[in-house]
Amino acid sequence: MDPRQRFPSVVMAWRNLWRNRLRTVLAALGIVIGVVAIAGLGITGSALRYGTAQQFSDITNQATVMPGEDADQRHLTEAQVSAIREVASNATVIPIKEGSLQASSHTAETYTRVEQVTHPSDLYSAHRGTIPQPFRTGVLLNNETAAQLNVTVGDLVIVGDQSYKVRAILAEGGIGFRSSGVVVSPPALDKQGYSSVTIIAEDGDAAQHLANATEARFNTGEEVVRTSSFGGLNQRVGSLFSTLNLVLLGIGSISLVVAGVSILNIMLMSTIERRSEIGVLRAVGVRRQDVLRMILTEATLLGLIGGAVGAALSALIGAVLYNALYSSPMLVFRWASARYLLIGFGFGAFASVLSGIYPAWKAANKRPVEAIRS
Amino acid sequence: MSVIELSDVVKRYNNGDEEIAALKGVDLAVNRGEMVAIIGPSGSGKSTLLNVIGLLDTPTEGTVTLDGQDVTDLGTDGLTDHRRESIGFVFQAYHLLPIFTAVENVAVPSMWDSTVDRTDRARELLDRVGLGERLSHKPNQLSGGQQQRVAIARALVNEPHIILADEPTGNLDQDTGATILDELTRMKNEENVAIAAVTHDEQLTNYADRTVELVDGVRR
Ligand SMILES: Nc1ncnc2c1ncn2[C@@H]1O[C@H](COP(=O)(O)OP(=O)(O)OP(=O)(O)O)[C@@H](O)[C@H]1O
Ligand SMILES: [Mg+2]
Repeated sequence: MDPRQRFPSVVMAWRNLWRNRLRTVLAALGIVIGVVAIAGLGITGSALRYGTAQQFSDITNQATVMPGEDADQRHLTEAQVSAIREVASNATVIPIKEGSLQASSHTAETYTRVEQVTHPSDLYSAHRGTIPQPFRTGVLLNNETAAQLNVTVGDLVIVGDQSYKVRAILAEGGIGFRSSGVVVSPPALDKQGYSSVTIIAEDGDAAQHLANATEARFNTGEEVVRTSSFGGLNQRVGSLFSTLNLVLLGIGSISLVVAGVSILNIMLMSTIERRSEIGVLRAVGVRRQDVLRMILTEATLLGLIGGAVGAALSALIGAVLYNALYSSPMLVFRWASARYLLIGFGFGAFASVLSGIYPAWKAANKRPVEAIRS
Repeated sequence: MSVIELSDVVKRYNNGDEEIAALKGVDLAVNRGEMVAIIGPSGSGKSTLLNVIGLLDTPTEGTVTLDGQDVTDLGTDGLTDHRRESIGFVFQAYHLLPIFTAVENVAVPSMWDSTVDRTDRARELLDRVGLGERLSHKPNQLSGGQQQRVAIARALVNEPHIILADEPTGNLDQDTGATILDELTRMKNEENVAIAAVTHDEQLTNYADRTVELVDGVRR
């Protein structure tokens, strides 16, 4: 069947928009700007949040167990470590010994904090060289110590009274970065017990849960062990960004309101200009509801066009942003970002339809006699 | 039976504090196959009368009967349905839609009516008024006389019982006006339709079967 017959309102609306192309483009432009404001700001917020979440993700799934206030010794015993392994049987448990030792090379020497770890690759990443797995020989240095001793990967250093080959220089950065100058493998540190145990769980919630379970296992009335985890931090950062996004969305919405008012204005003008045409339609028997539908369809088409162009532009802007921040433009299509494209599009179309209601109603209810009087 | 019957129709307009009576008790009946010319001085109420006949306006007092049915108190939508089903309009200023071709303009009255497709009748009517070669021309590609013939085709597309024309030749020169009146008369006979036409044009009254003169809101 002829589309004129099937979708008369759409055909009419489209031709009327086409007739006044410039005005149509200007009206749609308002919606485009509004949608870009909403979607662009939302995507910016989620892009920033994405970066922060990346930085935190290294530590948010960790919980640390230390001797508590009421502990018998200032360290955790082998028995306590075994008990922690039982509690956290699904997670990686890394007992850590700490001490301070003399470290020296051919040219320099320094006094530094030394950490003895069984699985350093779970806690650290290498900036240069590789962290051996399993870790049995050699040492890892942080940047500062390597600079002080003027050594690099492959050189020899003396820690305490032993000589070691430097296996890796550790990467720095991120929050909660561990601060030991030298990392050695057991049994380098001649010390009783462990200063702390790090539990690496699936995610922040699991880490929090294991920390609680560990406390429950040891602390019956007394604080034998103390735990800390970063799950709460993650949540706080999350709610901070939610607030930020809400503020950005608010700013975007204001521009959409402005766009809506301009569509209202443009639609009113165009229905007043077409007063006599609409009057003729009504005179020859076109119902009020059909005139209403026709003009609402115009507003809807404006909203759909403006919304689609706005969403496409926002996706482009988002891709540029993600590319600049993380060299990965396709991240814009993560749901956390992409949903702002939908939200922006939805708001744009909605604002447009909303602005069309009054002009449509007004045009439909204009009495044809008044409209066609020449 | 008359297509339309007005009895004792009064139309008053309220301009703030001043009240104007445009029609002061008019009786009128128009039959199928009859062309009635409505004449009278400016401001005598001719257009007002035509609007009441065409169900575009409702009388303040009196009754309007269309095909034997009292339509005086129908609401806006009921009147619209009657206009679409039984009445055709021809205006002085043609009033074609610039976004539509001739065929589309003729089919416009039933455009939103999904139960009928009047495109074929629209083509046929345009052919009958001599515009068979201009079917897909837009109004701005047609002369005044051609536009008015499109308007006549539009007025006939719904197989109306009555056509109302307010100064149909008002914007046309003498010769073109004559062809339009020929066309209207021919259609009146072919379609057995009633025509009520308001005019200042002597010429039109010659085509009319009957002339009604209004002076200051009353028939004379
Ligand atoms: N909407 C209105 N509001 C107030 N007064 C009106 C309205 N429409 C018409 N009138 C008045 O009613 C009277 C009749 O008007 P009408 O348009 O019917 O005259 P007419 O005979 O068609 O005149 P013309 O030959 O100039 O077209 C006039 O005095 C006019 O001012
Ligand atoms: Mg008049």
